[in-house]
Amino acid sequence: MTDKKIIAVIFGGRSVEHDVSVLTGLQFLEALNPTVYCGFPIYVDPQGVWWTGDALTRRSYYPITAEKQKALTLVHLDLATTVSGRPRLIARQKTFLADKESFINFDIMVPAIHGTNGEDGTLQGLLDFAAIAYTGCRLMGSALTMDKVLAKSWARSRGLPVLPELKLTRPTTGTYLDEGDLKAAITAALVNFKYPYCVKPCNLGSSVGVNKANDFDGLMAALIHVFRMDSEAMVEPFVPNLVEYNIAVRRSGDGTVQTSAIERPSSKSDLLDFQNKYLAGGKGGPKLDTGPSEGMASLNRKLNPQELDTTRENLIRSTASTLFDGMNLAGSVRIDFLCDSVTGEIWFNEVNTIPGSFAYFLWEAAVPSISFLELASAMIEEGFVLSYNRLGNTSTGAGGSVIFQE
Amino acid sequence: MHYETYGDGNGPAFVWLHGWGHNHSAFSRLAQLFTNHGIHYLFDLPGFGKSPMLPKGAGTQDYADGLAAVLDTITDGPCILIGHSFGARVAVQMAVHHASRVKAIILISGAGLQRKRSISYKIRAFSLRSLGKVARLCDTLFKSNLRQIYSSKFGSADYKAAGELRPTFVRVVSEDLVNEAKSATCPALLLYGSQDTETPPELGHKYEALMQDAQYHELAGFGHNDILDRGAYQCQALITDFLKSLKQD
Repeated sequence: MTDKKIIAVIFGGRSVEHDVSVLTGLQFLEALNPTVYCGFPIYVDPQGVWWTGDALTRRSYYPITAEKQKALTLVHLDLATTVSGRPRLIARQKTFLADKESFINFDIMVPAIHGTNGEDGTLQGLLDFAAIAYTGCRLMGSALTMDKVLAKSWARSRGLPVLPELKLTRPTTGTYLDEGDLKAAITAALVNFKYPYCVKPCNLGSSVGVNKANDFDGLMAALIHVFRMDSEAMVEPFVPNLVEYNIAVRRSGDGTVQTSAIERPSSKSDLLDFQNKYLAGGKGGPKLDTGPSEGMASLNRKLNPQELDTTRENLIRSTASTLFDGMNLAGSVRIDFLCDSVTGEIWFNEVNTIPGSFAYFLWEAAVPSISFLELASAMIEEGFVLSYNRLGNTSTGAGGSVIFQE
Repeated sequence: MHYETYGDGNGPAFVWLHGWGHNHSAFSRLAQLFTNHGIHYLFDLPGFGKSPMLPKGAGTQDYADGLAAVLDTITDGPCILIGHSFGARVAVQMAVHHASRVKAIILISGAGLQRKRSISYKIRAFSLRSLGKVARLCDTLFKSNLRQIYSSKFGSADYKAAGELRPTFVRVVSEDLVNEAKSATCPALLLYGSQDTETPPELGHKYEALMQDAQYHELAGFGHNDILDRGAYQCQALITDFLKSLKQD
């Protein structure tokens, strides 16, 4: 009989960041302290079907074909967890006579799904509803930061540096964006800024769908591209001489907000889009079976770049801390900034509540250094505390009943 | 002998001994997780990396003697030895023949004991050995090239790649450190990957049974080499606990 906590790490998902999420999930499983925790994978395939099985811990097992699914177990989440019950998955296996059901208990779930349906508060809401403990940001923080325009408006209201933007909604079927209206809207929203502009989806992470528009035709092409993926687009001024700076933020055990090392991702392109982040190297996919240095962790980067003077470093750290604290975030969150390397101006760009590789490489480069082992343990313990704090919402003695009494 | 040094110098000295065909960089990920815990010497064992060979046909005790001589020049007192695969053989030899220089040993995918083999495996091995002897005899009598053909067809990857170290390789793989394991008195931590086919968990269990003060852990899902990179954090957790237990003693 073991008293180790059972950790269910969920990854994959119906998101364009599916493959990167697989790497993040497997990296987290490998960073679990084996003396305290026992982890197992839950893989959400691109069709949304949930699977578990030891084979899922091997990178070489992906992609999962129909043949490979035979070695896995189909599972779904039991949403009817009682107040005193332990979270569980319901596993279904075919036998000769009928489908056989069994249960897989666990103590906490670790969402490692990037982007849609993982990072946007939907999974968190589901887990809250089912009274299941989970790591990382809660529903509100996840939803607020997933919408780039909403996150920027929150930051703007706190006096934090952000670029102006224009939010556009995908036209309903049979209608089109009017050229005159669009030009007028851009002129009004992006006063003092001319082409080029940067066009982004409002609700996708990992820089998916980010494009540069050099003129109106380019803008329309970029919007069409974005509207294939997202119902909302954001148009921003394109920052000349662009460099990006990223920093991770977490809350330590004593409640203080900590910031990590700062990284400057390297890219030969104008934009650090999804292609440049994850598919660099020309092999057409993330590196597999190469150890922990993979996915976001294998991106070329400069850690603690020397060109950042104390003033700008402090601006990045204080802005990131204000966002983390004010938005009531949790886990290991990565906050990205844009910078004009000539003028030195810096703007908050976006928040990633489930960043690639949980940004462990930024914590290992921090002073003092925090290894992924310590980070994973801290995220789990924090997740238990946050979930238990919320779960005291039912008077178990009265069975939750207020009006109907015996 | 070439070595790299990490760490701040405060705390115990760690000596890292890599596996066959590797060099000190095999430990670069795992050792970095301990840079705040003392000073670390990552060695290129003789014949690997930048270190010159020992005399032809040297065994693991010769490696231990050579290592002890170098340690005498760079550090005082007992060290913590961490050996992976072949490096674990050297660590065990150090624990027996240079016990005063060894505070504890940590064997990761440690080799050194003979595996339990099936009858069919033994028959096949006996047949291949006999075939090799015949090939050598033919080469001697008829100036043929059968031994080379035999080696290229039946030799292991390490055997084929051993080059000048081949006599050492042949000697090392036939060594059985049962007596040394029994004689080692220092605390030992044994870490084995559940998916390791080269030094399977069976060897760890054997070491645990033979040694006087050993604790065994099996790391689920890791193989012979990836236990050092993908498995680095789990090794870190278990080694950290082991180091704490040493302090308490």
